[in-house]
Amino acid sequence: MEYILKNGIVYDPTNNVNGDKKDVMIKDGKIVDNVSSDAKVLDVTDKLVMAAGVDVHSHIAGPKLCLGRLYRPEDSRAGVVAKTDITRAETGFSIPSCSATGYRYSRMGYGTVTEAAVPPLEAKHTHEEIMAIPNIDVSPLALFGNNWFVLQFVKENDLEGLAAFVSSWLKISRCYGMKVVNPCGSEAWGWGQNVHGIDDPAPYWGVTGGEVVRALTKVNEMLGLPHSMHVHPNDLGHPGNYPTTIATLDVVKDIEKNPNVLRDQTIHCTHLQFHSYGGTSWRDAKSGAEPVADYINKNKHVTCDVGQVTFDETTTMTADAPMEYDLYKLTGLKWANKDIELETASGLIPVIYSPKSPVSTLQWAIGLELFLLIKDPWQVVLTTDSPNAGPFIRYPRIISWLMSSDRRTEMIENKEVHNWASKRTSLPTLDRVYDWNDIAITTRSAPAKILGLEKRGHLGIGANADVAVYDIEPENFDATKASNAAVVEDVLTRAAYTIKDGEVVVKDGKIVKIVPSRHMWTNVTGFEQQEKKVLEDIMPMFNRYYTVKFENYKVFDHYIDPAIEFTIDASK
Amino acid sequence: MKTITLTLKKFSSIALEFEELIPDTVYNWNKEDFENYQVPVGNSRFPLTNYFDIEVEGDAEGPEDVKMILEGDMGRVKYIGYRMTDGEIIVNGDADLQAGAEMIGGSLKINGNAESYVGREMRGGNIEVMGNVKEYCGTSYIGEWRGMSGGVIKVHGNAGKQLADCMSGGEIYIGGNCDILAGIHMTKGYIEIGGDVTRWPGGQMKNGTIVIKGKLSYLLEGFDPEGVFVDPEVDGKQLAGKYIKYKGDVGVNGKGSLWLDAEKNRNLL
Repeated sequence: MEYILKNGIVYDPTNNVNGDKKDVMIKDGKIVDNVSSDAKVLDVTDKLVMAAGVDVHSHIAGPKLCLGRLYRPEDSRAGVVAKTDITRAETGFSIPSCSATGYRYSRMGYGTVTEAAVPPLEAKHTHEEIMAIPNIDVSPLALFGNNWFVLQFVKENDLEGLAAFVSSWLKISRCYGMKVVNPCGSEAWGWGQNVHGIDDPAPYWGVTGGEVVRALTKVNEMLGLPHSMHVHPNDLGHPGNYPTTIATLDVVKDIEKNPNVLRDQTIHCTHLQFHSYGGTSWRDAKSGAEPVADYINKNKHVTCDVGQVTFDETTTMTADAPMEYDLYKLTGLKWANKDIELETASGLIPVIYSPKSPVSTLQWAIGLELFLLIKDPWQVVLTTDSPNAGPFIRYPRIISWLMSSDRRTEMIENKEVHNWASKRTSLPTLDRVYDWNDIAITTRSAPAKILGLEKRGHLGIGANADVAVYDIEPENFDATKASNAAVVEDVLTRAAYTIKDGEVVVKDGKIVKIVPSRHMWTNVTGFEQQEKKVLEDIMPMFNRYYTVKFENYKVFDHYIDPAIEFTIDASK
Repeated sequence: MKTITLTLKKFSSIALEFEELIPDTVYNWNKEDFENYQVPVGNSRFPLTNYFDIEVEGDAEGPEDVKMILEGDMGRVKYIGYRMTDGEIIVNGDADLQAGAEMIGGSLKINGNAESYVGREMRGGNIEVMGNVKEYCGTSYIGEWRGMSGGVIKVHGNAGKQLADCMSGGEIYIGGNCDILAGIHMTKGYIEIGGDVTRWPGGQMKNGTIVIKGKLSYLLEGFDPEGVFVDPEVDGKQLAGKYIKYKGDVGVNGKGSLWLDAEKNRNLL
């Protein structure tokens, strides 16, 4: 099928197209420079055209989601939509049903989403859920930061062995890249403890979070994985945690980037908002966004996503189990906890982010500060760490805040938010606004580049034909006006067209076609001998401590159909 | 005043759902509107006239002027009075699940028995059930930690398990007996049970009041006795006779009060 999107206003930062009126041509699922006369014309005159969105960090599939749905049946009451001839019924707000997840991303014009935390033991479950999510390709990241084998390799300073282990475990779990969550902290949770800062060793192992991040980042660059180390640092959500965050980013500063990768960074710090707090307790908590943003502005080896708080009742879910326990002690709401054997732990608790609450407002303001203080939009990506700071369906609302400093001022001055926004952060002094080009960078081009996805997040020739068209005329619309914020949110929530691999899946905000999501995974070659040896070495420990047999541990091919395999030659 | 009478003519074994047929939506409907209405039945909708004879008399300016009378066995009609804010509904028969759920105002009277979830997450108004209710009367939705917050439920018969789970306001009166875990997780509000109670009233209650006028078979260990009181005044209500007062549930550092009739519970004195 061929398409030509006529006369749209195109924002394609990767290819330096900044609001030009031009046609986008599609053939066989790719962007091309020429189509035949049979091409179907979609008239998008003066409408906003961008590549489909790319989410660098979200929680959409896997055991945490399932536990969340089981644990919060009351959340399923919200967001109920009846089935149509094309779609299945939808339920859920912060933890939507699998199909609703796909529909909602698709309606917002997104095409690629990263599932940010996959314990390899639960990878089968994650891939099963991805199979039930339509219309978005998913790049799952496997958890390594508290894995016993990783801790053992780090303890022995055996980077070669660690590299072979990572390479092997990415194949076994069919994951795209590496993620680290509260390194050593979730392992310490197995002993009822946590670690504080990057130099606090895990019990028994005696290695520290800093050592784990450094070793895994070295391995990441040794293998040349498309995505960098993706880290959720220690001390999430604790007042006064920003020095830990900066120390985590700094501990990998001298590690050289693999020359073969697309990305510029060697470390991606996720949901940075939760890691940028000053003060010593919630009584004197204040923003730590300025020093963190300053560090990022000076260091190009770092990228981040924000994890913007959206003022919703949502569900937090993370492999940072000790943090969830802290949150439970703070709020008293129902708490679930899970142990993932040799790999990690996880926790889950509902959270109500209220604009009337000083803490929620502080978190909200810190998120926006980070967006506005980090100068290079290629280094900062829009996320809500969905559903932890808010559900992903709120991205358009965040965009409306970013595009209008008037709207932000209005919220502060009209007391829509608590006065901690002005008393404890610098948000009222920041009048920077994002334009459509910046929005295209922070929601598409930057995340695609950070993930190392060459054919996504842009509209250059040969790119995947993942395109979003929004029913707004950027040349005749002033997004900086406070009164237009609701319009921006509304329009971006329901794309005029979402095109996935050259097929129209959304038209006028409605799903018109269902396509299966593809499982993106990285196949590292060139380490086969080392992998074999490592497997032999670790098998006694595996057999002794895991409750499953190795033969049943691996994700088989039928779990990842259809798949996109990224083959990396690590010997280069 | 508008009187709407729906008389059952065909019983459906698959439940009908009445969440749209509340005074708030039907106050300006005429007979024809009802005849054109398709009622949800299972996963489909069918004409209301398949199941009911419809009579409409008088006019209403708003829901407060509406009196709906449901004649016959409504044992398979769910969500009667769901989210109603005003007006009156009378059921001359039994009612199925969720009668008066999320009710905000007005009154609902059931001249028969009701199934589970009567007055779930009720915020205001009055519910009176002349017969028995089953489980989860005046509770929260499953998983939800915010339950009934206002209004009054009066049940003349018996109540089932987990009465008023997570209650945070309002009053519940049970004339007959009550099964396990009445007032579990409650934080505020008043529950009065006229008959006997099987086990564990007030489990994990943080605050609020439970009065039991009959015999309690098994008291939870988390309740500390505070003495015996004669004709006590509890939450502004004068109780007659001798009552043993307990405070709990200490397991959650609760400050709730549980009053047991001293005569019927002499074993605890």
